[in-house]
Amino acid sequence: MTAPVSSTKRFAAWSGVPVLLGVLALFFLLHIAIGAKDLPLRQVVDAIFFPDPSVFEHRIIRDMRLPRAVMAIAVGSALAVAGALMQGVTRNPLAEPGLLGLMAGASFAVVIVSNTAGLAHLAVIPLVAALGALGAAVLVFGIARFAPGGATPLTLTLSGAAVSAFLGTCVSIGHLLNEEGFDDLRVWLTGTLAGRDIAVLYFAAPWLIGSLIVSLGLARQVTALAMGDEVAKGLGVETGRLKLVTLALVVMLTACSVALAGPMGFIGLVIPHAVRLFVGSDYRWIVPYSALLGAAYLLGVDIFARIVIRPQELSTGIITAMIGAPLFIYLVRQRSR
Amino acid sequence: MRSIHPARHVVLRAAGDRLALRLPVRALLIVLVLVVLLLALVAVSLGLGSYGLSVEQVIQTLHGTTLSAMIDNVVWQLRLPRTCVAALAGAMMALSGASLQNVTRNSLADPSLVGVSQGAALAVVTLTVAFPDLGPGWRPWMAFGGSIAVAALIQSLSITRQGVSSVRFILMGIGVAALMSSVTSALMTYGALDRAMSALTWLSGSIGAASWIDVSTLSWWMAVLFPILLVQSRAMAVMRLGEATATGLGAPVRRHNYALISTSVALAAVATSVVGPLGFIGLIAPHAARRLAHAGVGLALVITGLLGAVMVLAADLAGRTLFAPLQIPAGLVTAFVGVPFFVWLLFRSGRSAQT
Repeated sequence: MTAPVSSTKRFAAWSGVPVLLGVLALFFLLHIAIGAKDLPLRQVVDAIFFPDPSVFEHRIIRDMRLPRAVMAIAVGSALAVAGALMQGVTRNPLAEPGLLGLMAGASFAVVIVSNTAGLAHLAVIPLVAALGALGAAVLVFGIARFAPGGATPLTLTLSGAAVSAFLGTCVSIGHLLNEEGFDDLRVWLTGTLAGRDIAVLYFAAPWLIGSLIVSLGLARQVTALAMGDEVAKGLGVETGRLKLVTLALVVMLTACSVALAGPMGFIGLVIPHAVRLFVGSDYRWIVPYSALLGAAYLLGVDIFARIVIRPQELSTGIITAMIGAPLFIYLVRQRSR
Repeated sequence: MRSIHPARHVVLRAAGDRLALRLPVRALLIVLVLVVLLLALVAVSLGLGSYGLSVEQVIQTLHGTTLSAMIDNVVWQLRLPRTCVAALAGAMMALSGASLQNVTRNSLADPSLVGVSQGAALAVVTLTVAFPDLGPGWRPWMAFGGSIAVAALIQSLSITRQGVSSVRFILMGIGVAALMSSVTSALMTYGALDRAMSALTWLSGSIGAASWIDVSTLSWWMAVLFPILLVQSRAMAVMRLGEATATGLGAPVRRHNYALISTSVALAAVATSVVGPLGFIGLIAPHAARRLAHAGVGLALVITGLLGAVMVLAADLAGRTLFAPLQIPAGLVTAFVGVPFFVWLLFRSGRSAQT
């Protein structure tokens, strides 16, 4: 490895960070400014830095729009990082929390607990979601392992689809038995940032931030693991432990984002693949870039979701799926046999 | 994996020994058991319900004696078509799954997971939500059109220079399925609630509204498609050995791939268009058939079809009686029971393959 090449590369990678941060900030402000009543950007900046409770617009911004924007950032970065980690550790370009059933598990657990236990305390919702996601992950990997042929991308994707379908069925049966709340849940189950309780964010935030920090710390080892188990072992990585920790991280990140916004598919697929185009295969770059780009992406999608059929709004999760599914198809086509 | 003891066979000969059929006894017994089970289920299903009938009453009515106009109506107009539709649709989904699994050589392939059902669902939901005036008579046609269109899309996306790649077919199917269901849920979320509910009932695979027209549609297609599948059973036997071996044996693999996938899609599309997406029958029935008996492909297909029929019939029966007066759609019952059963099957076969 010669010095000039790596230093230009490093420079290019570093230079992307301020650009992304700029884009993120711009989308953040735009996201807040655009809504049922459009507000000038100036007022948005004022409301964030110099809030004045007597101004009506400032109260709208601080009470309603700011939380939604913060949630979009949290969910977007969590899902993108979760997807990146899964792809690295399983060496499966099609791995994604939604496709592999983790989201279905998390939302199933949340729906069941909030329907049967009545008012489950908000603090436990991220944990309930995590348990659901963990269960689904174990089930999906178990099925794929025992299926003839082993855990290839194909069997993993299929068992993920099967487990998701099964959990979806259970939710539908629950709905048929108890029709109240169907109207509420059918929107939530498509993944939306609208009308979410900001209090969930307070309870999810510690888990989320903690998981993101640990992910950054592990990125170096994930890079080694992405080159193969043998290589990683040779480089001194404890592969078994790393896989367990990553599974826990992915479960926690997915669970927090589902608790915040419901299942939102394909972010974990789209963002890491986009990031790899720019920074290559080093997870020390992929993880932070995914977090930033994921946040900006979800802000952008959420803006689009709110303006495309004004005055109504579309579920954000529907749009992420509409963008993500074609990319999935493209990726499959790219894989040369 | 195959049992070491040679299975006992009976050999049927015809046309002066020029045609011979060698059939394993165990598989024949299983066919017999399944037929009896199917008939028993039909009898129970005709009798059970909010208006209960005894077995004698059912049999008498079927013989043509009119016990009362009410009983006649219940048996002939409501329960018999429903029963026939359940059995036929189940058989079709099972056969569709069998040929898809054969051609992809992947035991997790299921027509309800790879876009065919989702295409049908999208078409029907579009119809229900966007054009509510058109009435439910259009549903089967829309569903059929939707699933065929989606299947054609998936096929064309999965064509490579080497022909239709079966791995790609499945992955494409999952991608397209995700796209379809996101559009479907967009329509559902923003359509009026009552229309969404009506579409939802269909989406969960309900056989409740079956009529004689549905029965005749299904039987005609079955009469066409099942022989087509049986004709291909020799191709399926070769394809079981893997693409490379099949090519080595001189089989036109590309054509077999294409023909089998098309047959599978047609079967699933017809069944889906009538009863809605019936999940997991196509996944489980072929597996269970393989585990029940080692038989040639043709006989295995018969067992698979019968199993599918029995399973959907039982699911429909359970769905409408267990929580009566509430009706759980058969598709939900099959998925709910099917997946744990499937996982158990996999774990068992996985363990026996390891030891």
